[in-house]
Amino acid sequence: MADPAEDLPEAAVRRFSSGAFSSGLTVPDFAACLQLGLQPVGLVQGFCVMQWGWYGSGSSYMRGANPYSMGGQTAGAYSESYRCPHGYVSAEHRMWGQNLEQPWVEQAWSSGYHSAYARMLEEATALGAHGVIGVVDRVTQVSDSQTSEFHFLGTAVTVDDGPPPAGGTPWTTYLAGQRLTKSIEAGFMPIAVVASMASVRVWAYCITEYLMEGGRGWGNPNQVQEVEQVTKAHMAVRQLARKHVRQQLVGDALHGVEIDVVKRELAQGDEVIDCTIRGNRVRRFKDFDNVPAPRPTVRLS
Amino acid sequence: MSAENGTTPAATPAATPSELKAEMLRGAQSVATAPAPNKNRGITSDLSIDEALLLHAAGWEPVDLVCGVSIASVPYGVWTWGQGEISTASTAHNAAVQGASNRILEECRKVHGHGVVGVRIEVEVRNHHIDVELVGTAVRPVGDASPPALPFVSDLSARDFTLLKGAGWMPAGLAFGASFVYAPRRSAGAAMQQKTQNIELTNFTQAMYAARESAMERMQQSAINVGGHGVVGVKVTEGPMSFARHAVGFTAWGTTVKLVADVHKNITPQVILPLDDAVVTFAAQNLRGS
Repeated sequence: MADPAEDLPEAAVRRFSSGAFSSGLTVPDFAACLQLGLQPVGLVQGFCVMQWGWYGSGSSYMRGANPYSMGGQTAGAYSESYRCPHGYVSAEHRMWGQNLEQPWVEQAWSSGYHSAYARMLEEATALGAHGVIGVVDRVTQVSDSQTSEFHFLGTAVTVDDGPPPAGGTPWTTYLAGQRLTKSIEAGFMPIAVVASMASVRVWAYCITEYLMEGGRGWGNPNQVQEVEQVTKAHMAVRQLARKHVRQQLVGDALHGVEIDVVKRELAQGDEVIDCTIRGNRVRRFKDFDNVPAPRPTVRLS
Repeated sequence: MSAENGTTPAATPAATPSELKAEMLRGAQSVATAPAPNKNRGITSDLSIDEALLLHAAGWEPVDLVCGVSIASVPYGVWTWGQGEISTASTAHNAAVQGASNRILEECRKVHGHGVVGVRIEVEVRNHHIDVELVGTAVRPVGDASPPALPFVSDLSARDFTLLKGAGWMPAGLAFGASFVYAPRRSAGAAMQQKTQNIELTNFTQAMYAARESAMERMQQSAINVGGHGVVGVKVTEGPMSFARHAVGFTAWGTTVKLVADVHKNITPQVILPLDDAVVTFAAQNLRGS
């Protein structure tokens, strides 16, 4: 990361040195923040606009002459091949199929996400913050183009009489207010907001194509059956996203996970499945204290 | 009383502001130095902090986020006009639910979870395939990494799970039932005759009743199959298929529960009367007087 003081926009430097703080916290969250010994020092943000590369016909990621050795595929990435049981039928007959992880898509997403995150942290570091709370992140498509905007926003805080975090990198959390208070009280210190994305492309082979379009014959008896190739792709993309996010945990825990799956159907059985996972990485700093025993209540109002 | 035997942990008073500040400071100090290398498998969970704390208070802990997906094919021609139940579609629905349930249970077993709570269920019925996705958090009694005999899957929240457990019940699994039925075609004469009338379309009403009874029966049977005593939190979806308006579908699902205590334990809720005022909006015209 570049020296924050040199890398920040000039207007941001002026704003941060004005003496007044800004914050994205609601009034209840602001009050809870003070009660916890956190002093807001500024609203910090990070942006990154990424253009998605072209993976169309002619690129190394399209169906090649040899379907079993796809060019450009990263070693160790998930892939499964499916071979047609019928032999040559016609030029249109899909004689092979493949489920293929798309690391280049995942890396592009990760690059955009982490650049925006790093820029938010640069602003927080410039403010001398110990942490960033109430983080809000979003990824939006810019107009109708192949361009996505990654945006982070949060409130930089310092801990009263607290030491700076290890390496000077502020900790971050999606939580604020009473939820953050409860987390701290329970012994979980926020480390970072973490997210990962996995992308799997399904090239349907003949059986998958027929099953997904309700075809009979060609190995599809007139009965219900599970579409193995697509089912496996869906399971794989979720497992990959969880594996990627776990690599960022280094033994810590991930709380409040959100999992989001987007599916784009391109033809019968052909689809791209993207899975995004995010949550709060937390570290236990004391043994767990049971919360006060929950008491069932009935409201009279 | 201990959390292990299903009773209530000792209550601790809420922290005062100075204690909270001390805890925050302690937390900040813990991250002021680089942590020692840790090769433990960290837990992941989609529970909110409230749910996680409540679960701990009941003696359980989250282990891992788990998923199950299945896509079952529906052969061509199944939705065209016919009579009675569209049994192929009902079978496909059942197959997809079973496939997804088996996979989420498999993932739960792998991480030594004793069950899955807060399962989010997404079912999509398409012309030629039925997609089912289940996502939830595997849980276990605190520190108990022994492989479970029969893990459960439940769409109850951690709060509902805690309440259910406190009353001596446990979830036993998801109960599912679905039925798709053709609404019989009216004769041309009947259709013409009824065209200008406000009249019940009994063919649709009867089809809906038939679908409902079959689906509910299947759901109850699936609960019995896992040794349940009943189903709670039943949700239903019903109506004509968007791609085949002459076919109606009815889906019902919920969590199978069984009594594990000798008798049901009554929960005596404390009656509370909130003293906070309802929001009063200021209306400037009130100052004018009448």
